[in-house]
Amino acid sequence: MEKDGRPSWDSPTQFVLACVSYAVGLGNVWRFPYLCQMHGGGGFLIPYLIMLCLEGVPLFYMELAIGQKMRLGSIGAWSAISPYLGGVGLASVVTSLYLCLYYNILNAWSFWYLFHSFQPVLPWAECPLNSNLTAPIEECEKATPTQYFFYRETLNISPSIEENGGIHTGQALCFLLTWVLTYLCIVRGVQSTGKVVYFTATFPYVVLFIYLIRGFTLHGAVNGVKYMFTPKMEELANPNAWINAATQIFFSLGLGFGSLIAFASYNQYNNNFQRQAITVSLINSGTSVFASIVTFAIYGFKATVNYESCLERTRILLLNTFELAEDRITIDSVFEWVEKLNATYPQQFSEIADQLENCNLENELDTAVEGTGLAFIVYSEAIKNMPVSQLWSVLYFVMLLLLGVGSMLGNITAIITPLRDFKVVSRMSNEVFNGLVCVFCLLLGLGFTTTSGNYWFTMFNDYGATFSLLFIVLIEVITVSYIYGIKRFEKDIEDMLGHRPNWYWKIMWTVVSPLLLIIIFIFYIVTYIQGGTPTYQAWDKEQGKSVVTNYPVFGQVFIGLLLVSSVSCVPLTALYVFCRKRKQGKHHKQENSLNAVSF
Amino acid sequence: MLDKILFLLCLAAALADQRCMPGAPQGFHVRLSIKTALGDEAYVWNENEMFLFRASLAFAMRNHMGGQQFEVSNIIVCNETERVSFWFVVTSPLDTSQLIDQENVEVAVRKSRNRINGAFLLNDKTLEFIGILPTLAAPFIPATPPWLIAFGVVMGAVGAGIIIMLVSSVVQRKRKANEKTRDEDNDEETRVKTVENGAARDGVYNMSFSEDERFTEM
Repeated sequence: MEKDGRPSWDSPTQFVLACVSYAVGLGNVWRFPYLCQMHGGGGFLIPYLIMLCLEGVPLFYMELAIGQKMRLGSIGAWSAISPYLGGVGLASVVTSLYLCLYYNILNAWSFWYLFHSFQPVLPWAECPLNSNLTAPIEECEKATPTQYFFYRETLNISPSIEENGGIHTGQALCFLLTWVLTYLCIVRGVQSTGKVVYFTATFPYVVLFIYLIRGFTLHGAVNGVKYMFTPKMEELANPNAWINAATQIFFSLGLGFGSLIAFASYNQYNNNFQRQAITVSLINSGTSVFASIVTFAIYGFKATVNYESCLERTRILLLNTFELAEDRITIDSVFEWVEKLNATYPQQFSEIADQLENCNLENELDTAVEGTGLAFIVYSEAIKNMPVSQLWSVLYFVMLLLLGVGSMLGNITAIITPLRDFKVVSRMSNEVFNGLVCVFCLLLGLGFTTTSGNYWFTMFNDYGATFSLLFIVLIEVITVSYIYGIKRFEKDIEDMLGHRPNWYWKIMWTVVSPLLLIIIFIFYIVTYIQGGTPTYQAWDKEQGKSVVTNYPVFGQVFIGLLLVSSVSCVPLTALYVFCRKRKQGKHHKQENSLNAVSF
Repeated sequence: MLDKILFLLCLAAALADQRCMPGAPQGFHVRLSIKTALGDEAYVWNENEMFLFRASLAFAMRNHMGGQQFEVSNIIVCNETERVSFWFVVTSPLDTSQLIDQENVEVAVRKSRNRINGAFLLNDKTLEFIGILPTLAAPFIPATPPWLIAFGVVMGAVGAGIIIMLVSSVVQRKRKANEKTRDEDNDEETRVKTVENGAARDGVYNMSFSEDERFTEM
């Protein structure tokens, strides 16, 4: 404990591991590989690393400095920096609250898949049979077994966001479990969190390493890795690649939520956070690249398996139609036989022409997926084809769980720390207050376990945090550089570290990062406006695939509310403080004049 | 004489063949994928294997239509291809010009499917009777879904962890509170002792220093 009674980390290692555990999350696994694929493979690393240096590390450094100096949560810290800008902290807390509400659903799904891995046959490996036991269920036939398991058995998804069934009990149970687990990890605040992060920060790397070895020994994995790493340099000319790199760095490091400020506020005053900031950012980016190598090995395996089963199906079709002996056509000679038979028996061939699939390895590799689709559908499809698939399934979902819980610890600390700075709350014991926050988030989050819950989840994921965070961090960096003053900030850092930050940091904070953020901000606004009505992917039961649907009116209103509610905290708080100061000012003037009169 | 018998036999054979042809209304198309099923251990498909097939089909018919003595000669096979696929029809043992209808043959095959498969070391997928869908195995549904068991274990562990943490914090707080009151008690005791010692040494009660406000209130 510090002399001012504020709890603190047992050692700087715990702080670094907590930051790593928070920053390395599901986005490193399911967003970065997608971006790599979209923007020319290995070439994407160039804009990514440049943005890391220009924007990622300086902003990360800045947030840690603020937290360690002010030794308060985000609301208190920003109020101390400038009384009118306490709203920035409040906006961070509101955004973190939205994140906490929906993020734990991902952990619930990981638990669900994990528990279902303890079966002799993985439930997403085969289609279940219909009630007559004559054929697989129709919806499963049209889609794939993995998609069926995700959309029907895990989510029991409704056809659109407007239709709602009840709560999915299995989901709700897993959701309850994730909140109970989260509570266990934060029950005594930093004392508990500090011990948990030793595990949540390190074990995912063990699993990733095991998967790296497994992935590279899989049949066809090299195809995927080659595909990813062949750089397509012409993609660098596309501004989208640079914008996406900047956005990915920004969200991957978890800036603007207030978690970094909260974590740093528990540090010793003279902790060397400069080195730690650089270390954590590099670890985070390194993990992204590492995870995408593994993902592409898995992609390559899955694409090769699909391609070869497509070839096998074509081979059997040809054998059966033309009554040839089984060993006349091998998998390698399928294509030449297709041409031969087309030439010799054109009429018979045209009869089966519509059953012939176009088997193409490139097309299979091209199917770029991100988000929950990658994590829960594509990966589980690859896992079911591996030998001893239960083991790999368990390992994978434990890793997803740890990544998710690690990030969740940061998210919930971002809410608890600023609120504990208020006197009303600090009188309550740690355990009771943390329990109240968890119960509150649990009850509100149960809405995501309903049949339309996945659509609400997507809405929160796409709109709840993205725009507001850009706004928050932009205000943060402008405040620190210009309103608080870069010279004062320098002095504070010198006070803590013993030396001033060099010219590189100062240029980044004052010029480069704000400029980059404004560019991304404008880009987002333009995309929103150009995009027209916001849309989402609804699962169509009849067709067995996702269809693009417009959000209904209440959905769009809700999106607007999400955006406005966090962004408006900043001007509203400024107004409130301004009015209060004016009232106090008047009050003081009255008192002074009274004193003068009552002499 | 011999010519006539030969001619009649050929006629009979020709007539029989006409009833067995691709697309025959009472016939079935069979397809075997031996190399796919057995790989290197695949046996060569020859007349003996065909004889075995016809015998096992006769066995299936005998099992289903109890009483009728089906023989190998009642199973007529035609249109063999190198794929190892062919058509067959079944004639009635009582009257070789009559064909057994499709439904009966289908039920007979369904009943003895496993035995037929076993004779050829094949399964439903590699020994196909086109048109006869295999009855898929009923999935094994355990009494408690296995995922609930795993869930219960984890939930129990986490719940126990929380209870331990909460109880230990309460115990810690009580211990701290006890220590504080014990310290205060120690202080009080020492103070009380000194007072007592002082009072024990007093001698005669001196009236002049007593409070007499009771009497002189003005």
